[in-house]
Amino acid sequence: MRAEGIASFVRVWADHRRGVTGWGAALAGITFMYLAFWPMMGADMQAMVEGMPEALMRALGYDRIGTAAGYLEAVVYGLLGPVLLLVYGIGLGGRVIAGQEEDGTLELDLAAPVGRSRLYWERLAAVWALITTLVAITTLAVLASGPLFDLGVSVVNVLATSLAMWLLVGGFSTIALAVGAATGRRGAGVAAAAGLATLAFVFRSVADAAGVDVLAALSPFAWMLGGEPLVHGLDALGAAKLALLSVVAAPLGAWRFARRDLMV
Amino acid sequence: MSDTVIVARGLVKDYGRTRALDGLDLEVRAGEVYGFIGPNGAGKSTTIRVLLDLLRPTAGEARVFGLTPAAGGPALRARIGYLPGELALGGRISAGEHLHHLAALRGGRGRDAIDALAERFRLDLARPVRTLSKGNKQKVGVIQAFMHEPELLILDEPTSGLDPLLQYEVLALVREASARGATVFMSSHVLREVETVADRVAVIREGKTVDVDSVAGLRRRAGQRVSLRFAEAPDAAAAAAIEGVEQVRVDDHTLTCLLRGEPNELLQWAARGRVLAWSARDRDLEDLFLDVYRNHGGLAAAEGDHDAR
Ligand SMILES: Nc1ncnc2c1ncn2[C@@H]1O[C@H](COP(=O)(O)OP(=O)(O)OP(=O)(O)O)[C@@H](O)[C@H]1O
Ligand SMILES: [Mg+2]
Repeated sequence: MRAEGIASFVRVWADHRRGVTGWGAALAGITFMYLAFWPMMGADMQAMVEGMPEALMRALGYDRIGTAAGYLEAVVYGLLGPVLLLVYGIGLGGRVIAGQEEDGTLELDLAAPVGRSRLYWERLAAVWALITTLVAITTLAVLASGPLFDLGVSVVNVLATSLAMWLLVGGFSTIALAVGAATGRRGAGVAAAAGLATLAFVFRSVADAAGVDVLAALSPFAWMLGGEPLVHGLDALGAAKLALLSVVAAPLGAWRFARRDLMV
Repeated sequence: MSDTVIVARGLVKDYGRTRALDGLDLEVRAGEVYGFIGPNGAGKSTTIRVLLDLLRPTAGEARVFGLTPAAGGPALRARIGYLPGELALGGRISAGEHLHHLAALRGGRGRDAIDALAERFRLDLARPVRTLSKGNKQKVGVIQAFMHEPELLILDEPTSGLDPLLQYEVLALVREASARGATVFMSSHVLREVETVADRVAVIREGKTVDVDSVAGLRRRAGQRVSLRFAEAPDAAAAAAIEGVEQVRVDDHTLTCLLRGEPNELLQWAARGRVLAWSARDRDLEDLFLDVYRNHGGLAAAEGDHDAR
């Protein structure tokens, strides 16, 4: 009588398979395009930013832009990748429980013979799977660009940085889903996650520019990139802190979701 | 197994400061078709959502198959087919994919019935659910509620938004489900929608059960409007003295009255004179319910003053 396999997981995939295809193509295209500039401007880049005030340079992550790893970090992992993926993941996290509860499209699922926590965890897993797909596509685009555009960044370090980005994006998306599921309000989930992500981004930029270590210690963006994984490889402590975002948020959301009134 | 399928005792549900249910009582027996009638905002959908464990009661208790909805959990919901009052269907997937998804959530039950039901309701399974008209969405809702042949059907205004033909088809499904032994609990604003299929009817208003009776009982209590035209002016007082005759009015040679119960005595009395024409028609139950909606005190109070308004 119980639900077959992972019907809730499969359903989220079915609803979002088109969207993820579009986003994947866009991410790969943008990554490719930006990295294609590297051979043309790599050397000039250093010269170009040299005139900038040092604080501004560091805030933008341009202080090492003259190296391939620095360019890749500033353009892909420090900005475009996380920002685009966060827009996607936070929107998705807010939608798959709270958003669909609010617009009523989750009612039949909630009335079906599926436990609330089962539905929650399967939908969360589907969000992670979709994010994983996009991170993988982005990573492949970076890896393919390496030899093409003469980036010379180690594959292992790219994978380590992508892993950190995956944990960061997954973490904020999980917060959107968890807060949404806890409150029944998509807006609350999206606002909480987007607000925290923006703070994290600002904290890291300010910390870099002004050297405020406290802010860096509090910023998931600093947890992701502070150890310079593109140069030094996996930052295990940073990755563990990023994982904590999800490990804390997800069960809290599940706990509250199982206890409150639905569809109100 | 007990022979009551749904029991509610003193059920209270607050939405913040709004009291939606205010001590509602219900008892639905196994195998019956039960109409749940009330005006907008009476608390029908709220009651139903408590039964499906979407809402948790503020006070009082509801039991389905002897279990509270929260304790029964998924295993209890597996025995129920539910049609929401305001069905929202979204997403890019097709109607067929949607129905297959719902079947998968029920461990595959009902999957084999999808094609036949879609054909019966002339629903195009290939259309994306988003693009379906309101009536076609309602068809998806009806199909998913019935497809796994549940023991209990909980239908929140099942015929709303459907044309008369489809309304008839839904009521036919209700009869078929009832014939195979299922219990049906269906809500409506209007008695007319349920009176042809319901065995019993509960009337609720402002979160309370105002009355419960069989449809036949309601009809009996509602009575008939009788009109008799005599060759000579009839004696109104004599007519009013007859048991079951009320609200006698004489207009020239025509006597009209409300008759509750058997017509025998009235006919015998009338036959003493010369009757030129007569008619007797069931009072419209809907009128009676309009009064219940407007008045406190249930049907008993409503019956008396109906024709006096
Ligand atoms: N989510 C909610 N928040 C606050 N109040 C609500 C909510 N849902 C319903 N109510 C209120 O609770 C009462 C009962 O509503 P309910 O939807 O159960 O009525 P109903 O009998 O199903 O009405 P209808 O025939 O219009 O569907 C109404 O006064 C309604 O305004
Ligand atoms: Mg309703």
